[in-house]
Amino acid sequence: MRVLRIVSAFLRAAILKETAYRAELVGNLFRSVIGIGVAIGGLAVVFSHTSELSGWRLEQAMVLLGVYYLVQGIVQTALSPSLNEVVSEVRKGTFDYVLLKPVPSLLLSSTRRFVVWHLADVMLGGAIIAIGLIRLEAQITFGVAAVFVGVMVGGVAIVFSIWLALTTLVFWFVRVENITMIFQLFFDTGRYPVEIYPFWLRQLLTFVFPVAFITTVPAQTITGREPLVAIWLAPLIGALALLAASRFWRIGLSRYTSASS
Amino acid sequence: MPPDVSVRDLVKHYVVPERTGGLRASFRSVIRRKHRLVRAVDGISFEVDRGEVVGFLGPNGAGKTTALKVLSGLLHPTDGQVDVLGFTPWDRRAEYLSRITLIMGQRQQLFWDLPAADSFLVNKAVFGIDDAVYARTVDLLTELLDLGDLLTKPVRQLSLGERMKVELAAGLLHRPRVLFLDEPTIGLDVTMQQRIREFVTAYNAETGATVLLTSHYMADVKALARRVIVIDQGKLLYDGALDGLVRRYAPHKTITVHLEREADLPDLNGQAEVLSVDGLQITIRAGKDDAPEVTGRLLTQLPIADLSVEDPPLEEVIDQVFRGEGP
Repeated sequence: MRVLRIVSAFLRAAILKETAYRAELVGNLFRSVIGIGVAIGGLAVVFSHTSELSGWRLEQAMVLLGVYYLVQGIVQTALSPSLNEVVSEVRKGTFDYVLLKPVPSLLLSSTRRFVVWHLADVMLGGAIIAIGLIRLEAQITFGVAAVFVGVMVGGVAIVFSIWLALTTLVFWFVRVENITMIFQLFFDTGRYPVEIYPFWLRQLLTFVFPVAFITTVPAQTITGREPLVAIWLAPLIGALALLAASRFWRIGLSRYTSASS
Repeated sequence: MPPDVSVRDLVKHYVVPERTGGLRASFRSVIRRKHRLVRAVDGISFEVDRGEVVGFLGPNGAGKTTALKVLSGLLHPTDGQVDVLGFTPWDRRAEYLSRITLIMGQRQQLFWDLPAADSFLVNKAVFGIDDAVYARTVDLLTELLDLGDLLTKPVRQLSLGERMKVELAAGLLHRPRVLFLDEPTIGLDVTMQQRIREFVTAYNAETGATVLLTSHYMADVKALARRVIVIDQGKLLYDGALDGLVRRYAPHKTITVHLEREADLPDLNGQAEVLSVDGLQITIRAGKDDAPEVTGRLLTQLPIADLSVEDPPLEEVIDQVFRGEGP
């Protein structure tokens, strides 16, 4: 209950803050729409030359793209603003104020900032998934939908964990903005099914930097394609990643509290 | 009643990378870093009772801020025991953190683009402050700090002094019992410094909170703290009443005389030293023990309009302490 009150207080402040900058809101909505439009156009061009891409049809690839934007929207709305704040606060020294609050630092550090207009990506992503599924004439049973949601939650947990782990490096290196850029680089590969990449990269994207679990696997489960790996692996890896990342955070934090000045 | 704050043999050492200037040295340090040990706090002990206001004095880098950070749980000490309100600060228990506050004059916690009132609501949720208590506290702080409509303006539109006032209020919403104030008046103009001081005094009187503060400004310490702790290079040099510090470290008195008309100074027997002659005003420094005799001689041999005997300014005394002069 307390957690909910804290998060909603932050959410309230974030909405107030964003609405203070209306021009930015409109500008960014515009950017989201254009970005997604270009991505769909790109798919259309590729599929005008072929009817299948590594076994994926246009509609299935659209669903995957929708998943990509959905996750990207969630990350940019709720996860990256807070974690980026940690990076800048550690440098400025105001991170001390986070540690002075009677609430677990990880909770505060990951729920403090929201950039609400990125929800546009979430909605557009959802819309593309819906259009793809309708054109596929897919029969979505309750069971399939539930599995999809479970796999998605696992995927978001993986993204969050990777981002958190990269952010935690700030306790050693102080300047880590560039490291989170690396994440975006890998994450961008998630616009396409991992099957299109060469073997070694596919392995890398499945087992080392598990982008496959973030977009390919959810899209497979809901479009009825043969899954790349066992589906239950997604939430399992998500949970393990969260566990590992939060432990890493604690190690980083103990370094901060014993070494900073 | 046990003391609110109890510190025993506190030690905090840092290992910091050492870098000499120059491009070549910079390149070398990327490959192989040299490290240096900084003894920020090097074995200090003291106690602070409930409701006391204690000033931490010391030059830059003396270890004042480090000590406050250990006390508020931000840093793990290298050695020693600390007990505040029965807690070990660096365990960072929620019960502990909701009973203390650390307010840093140079670091802001409020949302920059929003009115402070919105940041306050976040703190209210984070500290789990009850609605009624919250309303009462905001009223009290508004009155003591004369906040007026400052809470409804975006923080970025406030002046430095106004911002410090709302920062103070933000740090006190949860009614902490122990306040750690690190340079609360830094960068403020004299009037605003005065206001902040009056506030701390009033808050201490109103709530009975224990206050430990550091400051560069002697005026802060003089106005607020009856007791001072002087630290230099991580060591405790003095702990006691402010006037005791002056007595102990100021072996001189300053005698200022105003003459009715021009006159030659009598022979001072080397017991005193003339610091300045400015028209009819003469300033003389005499040893503490010699001061009465010198004063007597001045009074009998000069046409005096006015005479005063004072301790030297606190700044000078502190300066002397840090240079290792005095007894």
